[in-house]
Amino acid sequence: MFDVIILFITDLLAFFGIYLMLNTALNIERGYAGIPNFGLLFSYAGGAYITGHLTAKIAILLTGAKVEADPITQPVSALMVLNPILASNPLISITLLIIILLIGASFGALLGLIQLGPAIRLREDYLAITLLALGEVMNYIAIAYKPFINGSLGVQVPDVFSWIGSRYRFYLATGIILLIAFILYIYAEFLGRTPLGRAMKAIRENEIAAVSLGKSLTRYRAIAMIIGSAFTGVAGSLWTLYSGAITPTLQRFDWTFLPWLMIFLGGIGNNLGVALGTFIFVLINRLIIFNKHLLAGVLPFDIVWFDYISLGLIMGLILIYRPQGILPEKPYIPKNIRRKIVVSRSQE
Amino acid sequence: MIETLISGITYSSLLSLMALGITLLYRTTKVPNFAHASFVVFGIYTSYTLALLGYNPYLGTLLGFIVSGIIALILFYALLEPLRRRKSSIFILMMATLTYDILMFGIINIYADYLQTTFKIPARNVYLAPQDFTLIGLKGVTIVSTSLLIVLLMLLYILLNRTIIGAALRAVMENPSLAQANGINVSLMLALSWFLAGGLAGVAGALLPMYMMTDPSTGMLLIAPMFCASILGGLEQIYGAPLGGFILGLATTVLVSWLSGVIGYWIMTYSLMVPYITLIVTLIFIPRGVVSIILKR
Amino acid sequence: MKSIEKEIHLKTIGITKRFGGLVAVNHVNINVMRKSITLLIGPNGCGKTTLVNTITGIYEPDEGEVYFEGKNITGLPPDRIYREGLVRTFQIPSPFTKLSVLDNLLVAARDHPGEKFRTHLFRRSWIKTEEELINKAFEYLKILGLDKYWDREASELDAGGLKLLEIGRALMSDARMIILDEPIAGVNPRLAHNIFSHIVELRNKLGITFMIIEHRLDIALRYSDYVYAMNRGEIISSGTPDEIIRDEKVRSVYLGEV
Ligand SMILES: Nc1ncnc2c1ncn2[C@@H]1O[C@H](COP(=O)(O)OP(=O)(O)OP(=O)(O)O)[C@@H](O)[C@H]1O
Ligand SMILES: [Mg+2]
Repeated sequence: MFDVIILFITDLLAFFGIYLMLNTALNIERGYAGIPNFGLLFSYAGGAYITGHLTAKIAILLTGAKVEADPITQPVSALMVLNPILASNPLISITLLIIILLIGASFGALLGLIQLGPAIRLREDYLAITLLALGEVMNYIAIAYKPFINGSLGVQVPDVFSWIGSRYRFYLATGIILLIAFILYIYAEFLGRTPLGRAMKAIRENEIAAVSLGKSLTRYRAIAMIIGSAFTGVAGSLWTLYSGAITPTLQRFDWTFLPWLMIFLGGIGNNLGVALGTFIFVLINRLIIFNKHLLAGVLPFDIVWFDYISLGLIMGLILIYRPQGILPEKPYIPKNIRRKIVVSRSQE
Repeated sequence: MIETLISGITYSSLLSLMALGITLLYRTTKVPNFAHASFVVFGIYTSYTLALLGYNPYLGTLLGFIVSGIIALILFYALLEPLRRRKSSIFILMMATLTYDILMFGIINIYADYLQTTFKIPARNVYLAPQDFTLIGLKGVTIVSTSLLIVLLMLLYILLNRTIIGAALRAVMENPSLAQANGINVSLMLALSWFLAGGLAGVAGALLPMYMMTDPSTGMLLIAPMFCASILGGLEQIYGAPLGGFILGLATTVLVSWLSGVIGYWIMTYSLMVPYITLIVTLIFIPRGVVSIILKR
Repeated sequence: MKSIEKEIHLKTIGITKRFGGLVAVNHVNINVMRKSITLLIGPNGCGKTTLVNTITGIYEPDEGEVYFEGKNITGLPPDRIYREGLVRTFQIPSPFTKLSVLDNLLVAARDHPGEKFRTHLFRRSWIKTEEELINKAFEYLKILGLDKYWDREASELDAGGLKLLEIGRALMSDARMIILDEPIAGVNPRLAHNIFSHIVELRNKLGITFMIIEHRLDIALRYSDYVYAMNRGEIISSGTPDEIIRDEKVRSVYLGEV
C-alpha cells in the first residue's frame, strides 16, 4: 500500500514538473508576448525526438565504449553495453544529462523560431494558424525519416539516472524534473518583472501603440518564442529521458491542448496561477488515471475519449465563465517604490 | 500521368470545398475555424454509416451537408455566440474552435469504437473506393466532386449576389456594426454562414472515403492543407479558396508524382510536407493570397 | 540660435492616402518648424488622423514623401520612426490596459538596457536606469495629475485619464517632436489649460516640437504659433492663429459649424 502511494506521488510530481515547464513556456509566449502558440507540440516533440536520436550517440562518445550495434535501429544491444557503464559512473551520467538538456533547449528554440518565422510580422490569427499547422509536422518527419528515431517503432535511450540504483531511479528522475521546472518557473517570474517582460506585455496589450513607442514586434516576439521553445525543448528531452524510450506518437491533445487548459484554469499571465492550475489539473487527472481500471470493460469504447469530451466541456465553460482563471493577472508593482511613495506622501 | 492529373483534380475539388468554408467563416466571424477538420470527419462517418446500412454512399453528400452543418451550428450557438456577446477577443474565439475540435474528436472516436465493438466492423479504416462506380472511364468520385464543386460554387454565388439574404450576409462581412444598425439580424446571418461552411465541409468529408483511406484522425492531416489552400487563395476573398485549393491540390499530387520520377521515389514520403512548405512560402511572400495579386493588376 | 528655430522639423510633400475610392488625404504639403507648436484643425472626417497615421508609418502613403529633420522617413515602420525621434499619441486612447499606469509610461522609455535580451538577466546593469526613469515618470504623472493612480491598472482610468496617459507616454519617450491627436478631448477646461501651459513650457525648456490636432480652438489657439486647416483631405489654409480666425474659407467650413 505504502509503495503504491509513493509510486503515485512520484508519478504525479513528474507529470507536474513536465507540465509546469510547458505551461510556464506557454505563459511567456502567450501570457507575456501574446503569441497564441497552438503548436506547442512542435518544439516539445522536437526536444523529445532529438533526445531519442542523440542520447546514445553522445553516450558512446563520452564513455568511449565499443558499440557495434547501431543505437537507433538496434537499441537493445547498444544499451546492453552503455547502460552498465552509465550506471557505474555518475559523473558521465550527469554530464550526459546536461549536454542533452542543452541540446534539447537549443533545438527547441530553433524549432520555435522556424515555426513562428513565416508569420512573425502578421496578425494574431495568422500566427495561430501557422503555429497550429506546423505543430503536427514533427511526427510526420519522425515517422518518414527512419534514421531519426527508427520510424514509428521509436527508440530506447540510455538511462542517465540509474547510477543511484534502480530502486531510486524514478525518484531521482522526478527530483531533477522538479528542480529544473522550479528554476524555469523562477526565471519566468523574474522575466515578468524586467523591462523586457514589460515590453512583451505592451505588445500583447496593444500592438500598434507598442510599435509606435518603438517596440519592434519581430524582435520581442522572437525573444519570447526562443525562450518559450527552449523551455519546451527541455521538457521534451526530460520526458524522453524519464520514460527511457520515445515513439513518434506524441499527441496534440496531451501536449498542446492540455497545457492551454491548465493555463486558462490557473490564470494566463500570472505564473503563480499557472502553477496552481497545473497542480490542480495534474492531481485530478492522475487520480482519474490511477483509478481508470475500475471502468475498463464497462464502457463500449476506450475511456480515453471520455477525457477529450469532459475536458473539452470544461474548457468551454472556462472560456465562457472565467477566461481570466483562478488567479487573474495583476500589474506588477515593485514594493520599494510603493514604500517610497508612502514615505513621500506622509512627509507632504 | 493522366491518372495522376485526374486524381489531383479530385483531391483539389475536395480541398476547395473545405477551404471555401474556412474562408467564408473568416469573412463573417473573423475567426480561423480550427474545428473545420471535425466537420469533415463527420461527413466521412455520415457516408460510411449510410454505406453500412446499405444505402448509396453518395447520399452522404446530402446528409453529410446537413449533419456537419448542424455540428457547426452547435459550435456557433453553444460557444461562439455567447463569447461574441461577451465581446471576447479573437484569441478566445480561436481557443473555442480548438476546444470544440477536441470535443468532436472524442465523440467521433467513441462512435468509431462503438461501431467496432458492437457490430464488429472495421470502423477505423474507412475506404469506400471499391464500391465506387465508373462512367466513361472516370471514377465516380471524380465526376461527383468536380461537378458538386461547380454547382455549389454557383449556388453560393447566386445566394450571395442575387438574394436578399445574400445581401445581408455580405453586409455583415463588410461591417457588422453597420449591418446591425441597419436592422440586419447579424447573429442569424453568422449562424447561416456556419451552417453553410459546416455543410460544405460535410460534403467534402462524405466524398473523401471514396478517394482515400480515412479514419477519425484524418482531420489532423487535413488541417494544414485546408488552411494552406484558404490562405493561398486569400483569406479575404471567398472565391480565392477554390483557386488555392487547386494550386495546392495539384502541387501535392501532380508535382510530387512528377518529382518522384525525376528525383526518386523517396520524395513521395514527403508529399505530406507540401502544404506546410506552401503555407510558409505563401505567408512570407504573399500573405494576402494569390487573389490579392490578381486584383492589383 | 535664431537660425535653428527657423529650421523645418517635419515636412510632407504631396502626401496622399486613399481608402478604396475615398481620398482621405489629398496631396498635403505641410512644414512644421522646429520648436513650434503647430495646430492642425478641420471638421470631423477631414483626414487629420489619417495624415498623422501616414506620417508615422501606421499607413504607407500612396503618393508623396515625409521628411523628418531632413531625412526621408516615408514608409518606415512606426518603431523606426520612433527611433528617429518622432512620436505620436492616439485619438482613441490605446493604453496597455493590464499594465500599471506607471508601467505604461516606462514602456515608452528609450534605449532601456533592461529591455535587451543580452542584459535583462543582470538586474544590476539596468536597475539604475529603471530608477531614474521611474523618477522622471512620476514628474510627468504629477504634471498630468495622474500620480495618485500610479499603481492602478490602466483600464481603471476614465476617458480623460486615458487621454492624459497618452500624453504622458509621448513625453516619456524623449522625442524631439511629438504629435498629439486631440490631447484634451474629454478633459476638463482647467486641466486642459494646464496641459497646454505645460506643453509651452516643455517646448521652451526642452525644445520639443509639437504638432497638435484639436477641435477645441477656444483653448488651443492661444497656445499655438501656427495653424494648418484641412477640409476633405486637403489643406485649405495656413497661417498664424489670428490669420486663421479671419480666413473666410476656414470660417465657412469649420468655424461656421461650431
Ligand atoms: N482604415 C480606414 N479605412 C477606410 N476608411 C478610413 C479609414 N480610416 C479613416 N477612414 C476614412 O477617412 C476619412 C478621414 O478620417 P480621419 O479619421 O483621418 O478624419 P479626422 O480628420 O481625424 O476626423 P476626426 O476629427 O473625427 O478625428 C474618413 O472619411 C474616414 O471614414
Ligand atoms: Mg481624427
